[in-house]
Amino acid sequence: MSNIKGKAAIVGIGEIPTGRHADKAAIHFAVAPAREAIADSGIHKDEIDFVMPTGAVFNSQFNNDLVTCRLVEELGLKNVKTNAQVFAGGASGSCLVKTAASLIAAGIAKNVLCVHADKLGTGLAGGQAGIDLFSTAGISGEWEVPYGQHYSTIAALSMTRYMYETGCTPEEMAAVCVSNRKWAELNPNAFFRKPVTIEEILASKMLSWPLNAKMSNMLFDGGSAFVMTSAERAKDLPNTPAYLLGEGSRVTHFVHSQEKDITRFGWADAGRDAFAEAGLTPRDIDVAEIYDSYPIYELITFEELGFAPRGEGGKMFASGATWPGGKMPTTTNGGMLSQGHTGAGGGVALVVEAARQIMHKAGDRQVPNARFAVETGTGGTYMDSQVTIFGNEIP
Amino acid sequence: MNNSPRIRPIVNPCAQPFWDGTRQEKLLIQHCKECQANIFYPRLFCPECHSDQLDWVESAGKGTVYSYTVVYNNSPSAFLQDIPYVVAIVKLNEGVQMCTNIVGCEPEKIQCDMPVEVVFEKLDDEFTLPKFKPAQ
Ligand SMILES: [Zn+2]
Repeated sequence: MSNIKGKAAIVGIGEIPTGRHADKAAIHFAVAPAREAIADSGIHKDEIDFVMPTGAVFNSQFNNDLVTCRLVEELGLKNVKTNAQVFAGGASGSCLVKTAASLIAAGIAKNVLCVHADKLGTGLAGGQAGIDLFSTAGISGEWEVPYGQHYSTIAALSMTRYMYETGCTPEEMAAVCVSNRKWAELNPNAFFRKPVTIEEILASKMLSWPLNAKMSNMLFDGGSAFVMTSAERAKDLPNTPAYLLGEGSRVTHFVHSQEKDITRFGWADAGRDAFAEAGLTPRDIDVAEIYDSYPIYELITFEELGFAPRGEGGKMFASGATWPGGKMPTTTNGGMLSQGHTGAGGGVALVVEAARQIMHKAGDRQVPNARFAVETGTGGTYMDSQVTIFGNEIP
Repeated sequence: MNNSPRIRPIVNPCAQPFWDGTRQEKLLIQHCKECQANIFYPRLFCPECHSDQLDWVESAGKGTVYSYTVVYNNSPSAFLQDIPYVVAIVKLNEGVQMCTNIVGCEPEKIQCDMPVEVVFEKLDDEFTLPKFKPAQ
């Protein structure tokens, strides 16, 4: 078990609306939320001593810019000692958090700026280019790409087996998308904000059976950022701190077809570690920011973390339990299914949303009196299971 | 768009005997002489015990469908011409598992845990892909 509980906190957040912004350069999506996060934190920009950009995938030159200190210069940060990229695909948000917190706890860094930016909505040459990019990113060129594997088939493979083993229905699967949309209706930074029904989702184009088009994320431009500092410093800053209370994780595969259980992955073990460190149980959690990208992954993670018995989670998503006003508010920014998929940023946005809820800054979608939040992330072909727990007190 | 070139495997040289095998319609996996593990995909050394004492052995080519999906839309460019096609994970009786296509039957007939057996589909002169069909 880790030993990071209560040592560091997120104290500032920033985010631009997810969308299609062809008139803006990718760097805009990085510096705008970074400036916002620094201002929000109450920490002066020249106190930032560690900059941690995560990876951008639309263009390798832009990613090289992030690696080679462009953010430090563009933001005019005068006292940065290290700029280093932390990139784990969709798990990058959780990995930024635990890396930044560890550096702070070790005394290597005082104030860490974590940033994501990517331009997958307008930086690629059209829809088919996005499909083709994501049919090779993280998918084995020797053992899977030659069979036509891509992200729709990967999600569909988990759906088929999960529905076979549990009896979960297509309606229950679609209910996860409906739940996320209910939250996105309240999120000004989300791209999809109109109500959607189970019937509309199941009537949408079949991509890879049993996965419909409206069960799939779409790629957009986006950027988000957060500032972490020590728990001691956090006490003197204007925002309610979002303390990191626990973390747990497992890596289970690289080649998707080598995964031993595509209906469970490593979530149960990762969740057990995180809850044990935090000294909490799923019953203590006020808001669950569960990584989606497709409904099947949100459902599996929700159940494996202990928010519902296996095979019963879909009924909770259908009943309203996970919706605004429900007893287990889940993925309250709308997730990648409704806020939009921005690359590594889908996971970073969930970290920002967890902190936002804990800071009580979530506006119309604020979960009343939220004290404890769980956040999850997973990268590549769902290669890992990353869990973090935040709170505005240290239990 | 309908005639995009076929996607060929990007070969790790340590796996070359596997691809030489499929060209001769043999499904070869590795076997560790130290710990007796069966290994797929091919490695430089055993992922269980790190021994480099590996043999190539022929799989019986029989297994079951762990999961599957039928692609109807939005495939990668190179596979638009194959729609509808089936992507599956097959668990071989030797205990290893692999991504593949299920061929030789209506997609609607496929089920999880259904027994399947290997067939070989020539991609070009250099590559033959192992695929699976319902067991006889
Ligand atoms: Zn061995």
